[in-house]
Amino acid sequence: METVFISKLKPFLDAVAGQMELYVPKKAGEHYVYNRYDPSAETPVEFNSIRTCMPIKEFLFPLRELAAIFPGAAEPEEVEPFAVFGLKDCDLRSIEILDKVFADEEFRDPFYVARRENMFIISSDCSEPGESCFCNLFDGRPFARNGFDLNVSKVKDGFIIEAGSQKGKDFIEKHAGLFAEAGEALLAERDENRAGTQNQLEQNNAELRFDAPIKEIVENNRDSDVFDVEAQNCVECQACTRVCPTCHCFYLYDTTQKDYFAKMKMWDSCMRVGYAAVAGGANPYKILGDRIRHRLLHKFVYFLDRYGIDMCVGCGRCVDADAGGMDIRVVLKKLSEETKGKGRKKAKLAK
Amino acid sequence: MTKNPYQPVNGEIVDIIDESSTIKTFVVVPEEDFKFETGQFVELTLPGEGEAPFTPSSSPADSEKMEITIMEAGRVTALLHRCSKGQKVGIRGPFGSGYPIDDFVGKQIYIVGGGVGLAPIRSLFLTLVDRIKDFKSVVCRFGAKTPDDFIYKNTLFGPWQKIKGVDIKLTVDEANGDWDGNVGVVTTILAPDDVNIKNAVAVVCGPPIMMKFATLKLLEFGFPAENIYLSMEKNMSCGIGKCGHCMLGKYYVCKDGPVFTYEQIKDYPDIWD
Repeated sequence: METVFISKLKPFLDAVAGQMELYVPKKAGEHYVYNRYDPSAETPVEFNSIRTCMPIKEFLFPLRELAAIFPGAAEPEEVEPFAVFGLKDCDLRSIEILDKVFADEEFRDPFYVARRENMFIISSDCSEPGESCFCNLFDGRPFARNGFDLNVSKVKDGFIIEAGSQKGKDFIEKHAGLFAEAGEALLAERDENRAGTQNQLEQNNAELRFDAPIKEIVENNRDSDVFDVEAQNCVECQACTRVCPTCHCFYLYDTTQKDYFAKMKMWDSCMRVGYAAVAGGANPYKILGDRIRHRLLHKFVYFLDRYGIDMCVGCGRCVDADAGGMDIRVVLKKLSEETKGKGRKKAKLAK
Repeated sequence: MTKNPYQPVNGEIVDIIDESSTIKTFVVVPEEDFKFETGQFVELTLPGEGEAPFTPSSSPADSEKMEITIMEAGRVTALLHRCSKGQKVGIRGPFGSGYPIDDFVGKQIYIVGGGVGLAPIRSLFLTLVDRIKDFKSVVCRFGAKTPDDFIYKNTLFGPWQKIKGVDIKLTVDEANGDWDGNVGVVTTILAPDDVNIKNAVAVVCGPPIMMKFATLKLLEFGFPAENIYLSMEKNMSCGIGKCGHCMLGKYYVCKDGPVFTYEQIKDYPDIWD
């Protein structure tokens, strides 16, 4: 059995939690955040309608971690298997993107890989697109297609659970007693729900249509004024890169502990003025407009050139998080309206 | 277990040579075998303090020790300049791709360098000289602010100039003492007939502004962009194409460079910044 039915979430989540640590979404204000699952809790776990507020990268690539010790050698700690429930299609694709960077054949990041290999992914369908969701622009869907171990779809009388990996199939087999068959009527209901949400998503973003591929729009307009104009709305809070599930820049720094030295790895942000500065003083992104431009070029041009995939999944987290009022959808729209080669005003003041 | 690319190899500074008022060469002995190719770089850690990227200035043929010439420019380099012999350090790497020496065989190698840019060039120079018969000639045009600012003075002003197959010209921005050579930036000693462009490659390493104008001059002479090799300086940190700081267009300078042909990078904005 690869696709099964269960009427309530709790027995399913209890079964997962019986095997490994489980993280589940919980409503916090208007967003969802992850909490450790407590089988004895009285409040039932919520089926999150869209992705959580914070990005999934936190599970694989924490804000700060030990990378090396000196003298000696740091190895990744033994990672126990853990499960995360409620990932959406955009989250799964963000993991695909991070895998390209951290799990590449040539240089594997052993800390990332150790967590990635032990993460049991339970995705779920989006039940209603959020205001900032624009995944359809990047071929995203409000339901997972691949990259999950198990996927949960909400239907009127319960939940359909589908296995997407051997680990997922093994789980269903092991707990076969919990599940009933998911008949054709149920699957038809699921398909109908999915089509409905997809339709709503496309309607929400009806005005967000471009005549050219996004790569071309950004690349051909890299001299545009738009980046400097948008910089006026940006307060450099770096929230966009923090909540972005695909932004993965980090820096290494050294510290002195009681009886050893440590090299730490910590998230960085290309919105930071000193991000690319070298000791000699050169800095290719001295003004904010340069950094905004670089961020978009990296996401939509350079990453695509290198890995064959956009470094944006259209999750809209950066739109929600932005303190200044810069909206990546609006920036792309403005760029697409720019005519090629308009000539960017070189307002590079202190340069 | 996957090897941890963030973990340095332990090493020790066994000697420190003063090169100029702001530049010193550190002789480092790694505790483990540490092979590199000329032009590749390493990340040198001062434990507890920080890490910075440097291209070794010694010949890769010397497997016992590695020399790293460092200008005091920022926080980590300032701390390194205050270190003494016996200081323990960490070394990660080598990273990236260096100079494609085998592609240079049979050709004239036109090396344009300035300031502390002579550090990677020294490693290249020593490598070329080791097998000088494989090359048509090695033509060097080096510049420094003042005569005192030249590094490797003991070899540069004497022995290197006497090597058969090597042609060296020097210039300074500002003369002093008994300097009787050229005065002017390095581009003032570049001439179209220095080498036969049809059978030559150019190598440029120095401060960004010098690299920019030297490259433009070489293009003006008719050097094809794919025969101009540039050693790019960016804020390399992880060394393995992940952390993002050294991006140059789609390239990671740490992984795809630090040596690039001008052809590879010429269309990206702000390459000299």
